[in-house]
Amino acid sequence: MRHKNPSEHKIDFVVGTELSIGDLLMREETMPVLLAIVRGGAFGAGIVDSTGTVLCAAGDAASLGPPACAAGQGMLVHTRPILHEGEPVGMLVVTAPQSYDPAFLAAVTDIAYAALALIVRNTAKRMLTTELHTTVVQQSYAELIERNQQLQASEARYRDLAAQLEKKVEERTGQLDRAHARLFQQEKMASIGQLAAGVAHEINNPLGFISSNLNTLEGYSGRLLEMIGLCREMIDRHDIDRKKIEEQSRRLKIDFIVDDVPALFVQSKDGIARVKKIVADLKGFSHIDESRESFVSLNDELEKTISVLSHESGDRILYIKDYGVLPQLLCKPALLSQVFFNIILNAIQATDGKIELQLSTRAEQDEIVVVIQDNGPGIPASVINRVFEPFFTTKEVGKATGLGLSVAYDIVKQHRGDIMIESMMGKGSIVTVRLPVRRGKDV
Amino acid sequence: MIEFDSIEKRMVMKIVYYGPALSGKTTNLLRLHDLLSSKGRGDLMVLDTKDDRTIYFDLLPFFLIAPDGLKIKVKVYTVPGQVCHDATRKAVLSRVDGVAFIADSQTAESANNSESFENLERNLAFVGLNMVKLPLVIQFNKRDLPNIIADDEIERTWRQTGIPVFNASALEGWGILETFRCLIELVYEAADRRFGLENEHGLPKERFVREIVNPVQEVAGERSAAQEPF
Repeated sequence: MRHKNPSEHKIDFVVGTELSIGDLLMREETMPVLLAIVRGGAFGAGIVDSTGTVLCAAGDAASLGPPACAAGQGMLVHTRPILHEGEPVGMLVVTAPQSYDPAFLAAVTDIAYAALALIVRNTAKRMLTTELHTTVVQQSYAELIERNQQLQASEARYRDLAAQLEKKVEERTGQLDRAHARLFQQEKMASIGQLAAGVAHEINNPLGFISSNLNTLEGYSGRLLEMIGLCREMIDRHDIDRKKIEEQSRRLKIDFIVDDVPALFVQSKDGIARVKKIVADLKGFSHIDESRESFVSLNDELEKTISVLSHESGDRILYIKDYGVLPQLLCKPALLSQVFFNIILNAIQATDGKIELQLSTRAEQDEIVVVIQDNGPGIPASVINRVFEPFFTTKEVGKATGLGLSVAYDIVKQHRGDIMIESMMGKGSIVTVRLPVRRGKDV
Repeated sequence: MIEFDSIEKRMVMKIVYYGPALSGKTTNLLRLHDLLSSKGRGDLMVLDTKDDRTIYFDLLPFFLIAPDGLKIKVKVYTVPGQVCHDATRKAVLSRVDGVAFIADSQTAESANNSESFENLERNLAFVGLNMVKLPLVIQFNKRDLPNIIADDEIERTWRQTGIPVFNASALEGWGILETFRCLIELVYEAADRRFGLENEHGLPKERFVREIVNPVQEVAGERSAAQEPF
């Protein structure tokens, strides 16, 4: 191979190089034949090429010179042309003494000629075969190298592409993750917003009467202080006028105050307790430390969720509870509250007027099953497969994010659980949440 | 690509018999060997075969000397037709000066013919030659067999290409010389244009063709008496 780099220059693969007589009649193959002739009594035997040069000879090489000279010197001379591919390329020359039998010499020369012919023919064949074989091997090798380089280049290109693709996918995944987290947060804010409206009303109500009670108590304390002042003055003067005290007491309605104050306190304390409970529920629901896992009872979580929702929906909902005995579940409670909240809110929002919600929980082998069933309008079969899709909503644009159930789905999946929805038009829907209980953590 | 050595006064022309497997390329050369005089013709060299199928190539050489002493060798090769020997075909095809495409006339072989012809075109391109400029003749061989493609169909599909087309039966020995003679004429013309064979070397076309395509004289004894050169 003349060139190592195939792209530099196409290699010539040529078969059929011209062979010279020197190539065709190798000395070691030719000499035995020539020597045999000489042993048979000839002066000399040799191969002469087309220019007259003696290539190899046995016996008297000098006698092989120009045949005419030999003949002139009184020798018998026999020649035979050596042909290769039809072209005379040399000669077999045999010289013998005049005494030699000419017919015998001719026969010996013919035998030698036949042997040499065979050598020439077979050598040519062998060399052509070798040449072709070498050429084919070199050519195949060059092609393989070229193919290999192409493959390597193509592989490198694909690897580059793959690396870029991986990077792109990573980037996009990151973007999606961030968008998802943002939506998740938005959804949470939205549900909290909805809650806030209901809760504000609930808090306002007790705050109203607490404030009114405080006003009343302020009036009461003014009158009581006036009464106390009067009594203190009489005591200082050592002139206790019972009549006047009773008169003043009547005027200031002290008896009524004494009767009313405890009731006001009871009522106010009750109001404060209600506010306190709402705040506690909210806090429990929002779980400030939401990312932490802890062991909770799902029954309690359901109760908290219901409690928060009751502030919004009041007595529109009739809860029918059937709680089983559940093992403690290691989970992120805030997230699971959100699941129940979203499911129940979805049912409430889908239904006008009164709604019946059946909440049941049970422990099954390795999982806790929570079933929330409503008697709302149901979900059409055409969309039931899409309710867990993000942004899928049947509500008016702007009224809902379409993320409620999708978020619920994500959270349940995060807990390695399963969420299913069945529905029958006009009869209501059943949402089943299955959450695996981690072995060894059961309490 | 004719090899021309002006110092040694030698010229080598290369002719290749191409075509699908079993279309009769080697038989063509055997027939040429039998039909042409041994004068100026070398022996047919059949490189080793496997189950009588060519795996390397066959070579039938011709030799003549122009009036000015220029030695001209014309080497006629066959290629192995089997698809698997493509590398060998490329090697044999390199620097070719003329191609005889031997097609198999049997209708069942039509697809193989076209495939081999496309292979020829592709491999010529591989060795840097343009089929359009290359001396090329086509021979529809095996005309002696039944179930062969009709003459008018050959006419329709091939004659319009401008490539000389010959009918032949290598087995019966006819059409062989015509194919060869036509190709030899085309090769001569190409060589004459480049090297001035007639003007510079005194070798007119008629003499060249006569010396190469020199049928055995039907004189008794010529074929058997001649000592086979090698």
